[in-house]
Amino acid sequence: MRKVSRGWVLTIVFISLMSLIFLAPTFAGDNLPSWWSKVFPSKGIRLGLDLKGGIFLLLGVQVNESVEVELNSINEIIKNDLTKSRALVKSSNINGSTLTLNFYSKDDLDKALTAANDNFSNVASISANDLSINIQLNSEYIKELKKNSLAQVKQVIENRIADFGLIEPSIQTTGNDRILVQVPGASQKDRERIVDLIRKTAVLEFKIVNAAGITEDIILQGQGVSSKDELAAKNLEIHPGETGNQNENFFLTEDIAKVTGESISDARISFDNFGRPAVLFRFKGEGAANFGDLTGENIGERLAIVLDGNVKSAPVVNDKITYEGTITGTFTPEEAKDLALVLRSGSLPVPVAVEQERSVGPSLGQDSIDSGRTSMIVGGILVLLFMAFFYRLQGIVADIALLLNMLFIMGFLSAFGVTLTLPGIAGLVLTLGMAVDGNIIIFERIKEELHIGKTPLAAIEAGYSRSLWTILDANITTLLTALILFWFGTGPIKGFAATLSIGIISTVFSNVIVARLITNYFYRDKEISTVSI
Amino acid sequence: MDIFKLDKTYDFVSKIPNAVKFSLLLIVISIGSIAYHGGPNWGVEFTGGTELQVKFPTGPEVKYIRESLEAQGYEAEAVQQFGLASDHEYLISFSPKVVSFDQIQDFKQKLNDVIATTPEYAGAQIQRIDYIGPKIGKELIQKAILSILLACVGILIYLVFRFELGFAIGAVIALFHDTIITLGAISIADKEFTLAIVAALLTVIGYSVNDTIVIFDRIRENMSKSLQKNFGTIVNEGVSQTLSRTILTGVTVFIVLIPLFFLGGAVIHDFAFTLIIGVLVGTYSSIFVASAFVVYWRKRKSAEDS
Repeated sequence: MRKVSRGWVLTIVFISLMSLIFLAPTFAGDNLPSWWSKVFPSKGIRLGLDLKGGIFLLLGVQVNESVEVELNSINEIIKNDLTKSRALVKSSNINGSTLTLNFYSKDDLDKALTAANDNFSNVASISANDLSINIQLNSEYIKELKKNSLAQVKQVIENRIADFGLIEPSIQTTGNDRILVQVPGASQKDRERIVDLIRKTAVLEFKIVNAAGITEDIILQGQGVSSKDELAAKNLEIHPGETGNQNENFFLTEDIAKVTGESISDARISFDNFGRPAVLFRFKGEGAANFGDLTGENIGERLAIVLDGNVKSAPVVNDKITYEGTITGTFTPEEAKDLALVLRSGSLPVPVAVEQERSVGPSLGQDSIDSGRTSMIVGGILVLLFMAFFYRLQGIVADIALLLNMLFIMGFLSAFGVTLTLPGIAGLVLTLGMAVDGNIIIFERIKEELHIGKTPLAAIEAGYSRSLWTILDANITTLLTALILFWFGTGPIKGFAATLSIGIISTVFSNVIVARLITNYFYRDKEISTVSI
Repeated sequence: MDIFKLDKTYDFVSKIPNAVKFSLLLIVISIGSIAYHGGPNWGVEFTGGTELQVKFPTGPEVKYIRESLEAQGYEAEAVQQFGLASDHEYLISFSPKVVSFDQIQDFKQKLNDVIATTPEYAGAQIQRIDYIGPKIGKELIQKAILSILLACVGILIYLVFRFELGFAIGAVIALFHDTIITLGAISIADKEFTLAIVAALLTVIGYSVNDTIVIFDRIRENMSKSLQKNFGTIVNEGVSQTLSRTILTGVTVFIVLIPLFFLGGAVIHDFAFTLIIGVLVGTYSSIFVASAFVVYWRKRKSAEDS
């Protein structure tokens, strides 16, 4: 039994070395030579947002809206088709995943039915009765629409955040309709800007202004109608104004924009004639031609630049403009910069709601790290002293194993890129206390075996072998709860569960293998008559 | 060094009736306290809402903060000091019915304005913002309950596989016992029930079952050694033989929990509190609930057999 297994010694030395290598960036920081990071890819222990500071956003993507968006566009396509063949849709409405079109005549309906069948029979079931057509989207297609809209939203958000220029942002989809955005280490101001940036739908529309007024009622009266519904029947719409002009709180425009921000190729911050921040944008391809038509046909009219439903500015069109335009308004330089950014990255296809925000300042994180470190050092020293005091030489064996165990755990944390969170630090401290449990089980057993008269070496042998399954049983069940916690948790709690799981595995290894080897080493070639325990 | 004489067998079994009364009393007090407080004091993660942690350079009065919030048209659900008094940190919370995410964005803006314009607040910082929508809150409650139940079922299955059914049931009853009493202690101390507390509870479950298994293992070992012995005696011997270990491990865990409790900072403080209670109750329940149930189970079985 006194043989010190060479294989295990090498394994332990190897794991220790690897742990040290993986941990080097954590402790040496910038003092490492520059070739280090090229040879060893580890970046050290990764800190969670609660320790490093940063923002965690869980976004609910309203993927269901993509069905309505799709039905609206089907509606547009059929209407356009019918205009060409001189037919007319009386009215249309959307109910769930079904678009219903009503007609004045059987003749018009037949033309529409042909158009619908030609274009959409593969994605929807189309049925007709009397003077109406029902177009119901297939459930497979709806699933695809939702999936696509989630992917598009993710893409847009990725573009926006990448453009903002922050380090190590992480953007993942979770479930069918959620996106998780994590950006570490941002300042408070930046965190607020990121939230605004992500949430902006950024639908830009260009519409010719019909009228402007202080209140909605004045505009309604001017049109001789009493409600917005009557306006809608005339294909008109009221937008709130944000131009800074008190006399123009509301604008009346056409309801559907002929030109939108979709065909913008570039946008950046610029300044207007008064030196105020503004956003300069450029069109590409067809968008430029359409914008040229719109401005060319409306010289002398006012053109409303509508962002997410609000009129930002409404300049008078002096000339035909094709390629570029400027949005002026009451922007701060930062707002103008962020607006340019979202215009570049495109608009969100469906709305996004923030379901959870967690935003932590860097100083709070540093405080947590400091207090976590203090309690870990104090707790660790107390456990080491307690074991050495109580179990003498065997206690020192346990202490060496415990120190190696801690090294392994932290090495594993950096090797696997587990994120260390505040509860994770607590988990580490807790592991310190629980780790010696295996040693205690073994040592108490050795004492018993000595007590019933076994020789020291036989007692040590029996102590280790008889305790093995006890230690395994006890730790497998604990590991089970840690894994469940890992599944259940998000963010900090997941970090805790990961730390605990790694701690349990490493602890069993330390208790059963490392401590045993050290014990064997101490008693390697002498006949002993007593065990210091 | 020994804390207990190695060959001394303590009589635990005779104390089971009293232990059962004691446990029932604790459970009644716990459930009573939870009921009295109208359920757990769910944290913002579960109810949904917003919590802001603000650090001030000097310590303004809670009332003063409240008033300057109200001047901005925001009535906070709670403004409370957080951590040590010398940190001048405050938690400001809103329930979701009052404040939507958009309002919170607006509120943040206004709070920054107030900080910038009020001399007493100069240099104050919003250190942390947690906003949890109502949908997420509900999901988290379900997940928290589910994870605790799942942990119990998983442990039950493993123990049935490794031990006998009676042992497995005993261990799981002990887990429920520990969870309820720990929840009761949290309720009596009027602590918020947060995600970190769920993590602590699951850790308590892990610790408690760990402790129980070590004792069960010894009981099982003794059972195979001495078939004719009275089962109560076997349990007494098993518990006595592992008593040193039970106490020592409890002590080492305590040794690390104490610094966590006092030095770990505000968030960790409640987490450590939960673990301290849980470790105490878990150690007690391994002997007086889990092992006691095994004695009862055996007795019933042998009565059925004869």
